[in-house]
Amino acid sequence: MSRPIRLNTGFAFALPGLLLLLLVLGFPAVLAVANSFTPIWSEAKTFTLENYIKLQQDKQFWESLWVTIVFVAGTVSLHMVFGLVVALALNTEIKFPWLFRIIAIVPWTIPDVISGLVWRHMYDPTGGIINHFLDQIGLQNPYIEWLAAPDLALPSVIFADVWRGYPFVMLILLAGLQAIPRELYEAARVDGASKLQEFRNITLPSLSSMFQIAFALDVIWQFRRFGLVYNMTAGGPGNATDILPLAIYRQYFKYFNFEYASAMAVVLAVIMIVVSIPYVRMMVKRA
Amino acid sequence: MNQELQATTMTGKKLQVAAVARRRLRTTTVLTWLILIGVCLFNLLPFVFMLFTSLKTEKEAYTIPPTFWPENPTLDAYAQVIIWSDFPRYFLNSTIVSVGAAILSTLLGALAGYGFSRFNFRGRGSYLGLVLATQMLPGVLLVGPYFKMLVAVGLYNTYLGLILAFTTITLPFSVWMMKGFIDTVPEEMDQAALVDGCTPLGSFVRVVLPVIGPGMVATIVFAFLLAWGDLLWALVLTSGDENALVTLGLSRLVTQFRIIWPQLMAGSIIASIPCMVLYLALQDYLVKGLTAGAVKG
Repeated sequence: MSRPIRLNTGFAFALPGLLLLLLVLGFPAVLAVANSFTPIWSEAKTFTLENYIKLQQDKQFWESLWVTIVFVAGTVSLHMVFGLVVALALNTEIKFPWLFRIIAIVPWTIPDVISGLVWRHMYDPTGGIINHFLDQIGLQNPYIEWLAAPDLALPSVIFADVWRGYPFVMLILLAGLQAIPRELYEAARVDGASKLQEFRNITLPSLSSMFQIAFALDVIWQFRRFGLVYNMTAGGPGNATDILPLAIYRQYFKYFNFEYASAMAVVLAVIMIVVSIPYVRMMVKRA
Repeated sequence: MNQELQATTMTGKKLQVAAVARRRLRTTTVLTWLILIGVCLFNLLPFVFMLFTSLKTEKEAYTIPPTFWPENPTLDAYAQVIIWSDFPRYFLNSTIVSVGAAILSTLLGALAGYGFSRFNFRGRGSYLGLVLATQMLPGVLLVGPYFKMLVAVGLYNTYLGLILAFTTITLPFSVWMMKGFIDTVPEEMDQAALVDGCTPLGSFVRVVLPVIGPGMVATIVFAFLLAWGDLLWALVLTSGDENALVTLGLSRLVTQFRIIWPQLMAGSIIASIPCMVLYLALQDYLVKGLTAGAVKG
């Protein structure tokens, strides 16, 4: 008898949160999609595919899309590699583990907006520390425009983002490493397994679920990255670092092309949804 | 005799194995230390540079070639930022808005987390999936319509408008994190309370909430930090200085023609300190919350 009541109780608990999400997230999202097909804030409200056709012919959009893909692929893969290497190093018997752990995490603790500012300062051709160090180690007055040279700007931005982002992956993987039972390694050692075999056959498989979560969250966050690049280059020089969130923001609030901006944002959202379907599935199955 | 021989070769073999293991250990130890030293340099150098620049005079920050150590360390830049600019105002705004968003989303997240954790209802999986999937909607998809909505209802450039906007980032995380923490509480505890005549809400408030206190604090803090670090919504939803947030104030300093680096770095440090302290204090809970169930599963 109590069962039907329980069904509703659970939903009742979830309802306030779901309603708020519907209001602040669902509603604007639907409006954005609608607006990309029909200008809902103007006089003529006719259905049109014009925005998407325009998108398809917009060279700048394709450039931004490409920059976004390079940015996400570059940062996420480097986050994973750095994160894994440093997590392995921290998982050994070292003195002052807490100290090294804090140092390893600290770049991730400051807002990305601020890490963008700091790295912009470091990259500064005349006042920055990077060119200064290059000068000190023998390269005479290297006046390298890290953020103003078209070829260098994107790698420089990616590098700055790696600094800020890898500690998160490290933190998750370290938790995974610490959860691996020691007996597994002891058993492997008795069987005469080499370090490499231990790593391949015990460490990596045990980390896989942590790896998936870190990877998925990182991909999502990197597609959404805004403040760091906004403060380092604002998308320049030219379109060299113009990731889609920046390009869309500009279309919205600089050129006030609301319909066109919506169409661009819808494309970005579709890419993100497609990429992260496996992650959502995995998490829901586990829950 | 034969047996004895066998025994000695055995020990010999064992010694050999031990020696190989030791050598292996030594190379890995050296490698580990190299990595750790590299991590320290790479991770800390930007902070050192930030700190040193903030202690320089404006003049020194513009000398070419640049200095690394501040020649005449001074707190002028901090004084400028704290006393002579609108920075304290931004700091206050950021605090109000981030705390508001954190409390609102943790409260609703705790309720929803309890519902998802303890009850099986129609569409439970889909709702959970939807909450998670909202993270795939980039902020830039929402800013335009949300801006129009706020203007229409008169909430543009208000704290409430910003708080509601930040819940789009924080609430999905709060729901999942709170659900994860509530999952760790044995169900018998609140079952017992229900049997004793508590309402579901009563058993949630009196039995479950006290147990997950630390997890709840971690969720509040994480939501706070997500809101604190955001720039996009602050750019779109405020105008002028009155309601500007810290991240926006700092970013505005950059877009001016001349960047006064000591002040900018001093402001950056002040804005970073709450984040650094809170993250470092709660890192373990954060990992647990974000990976709920992954270690077991």
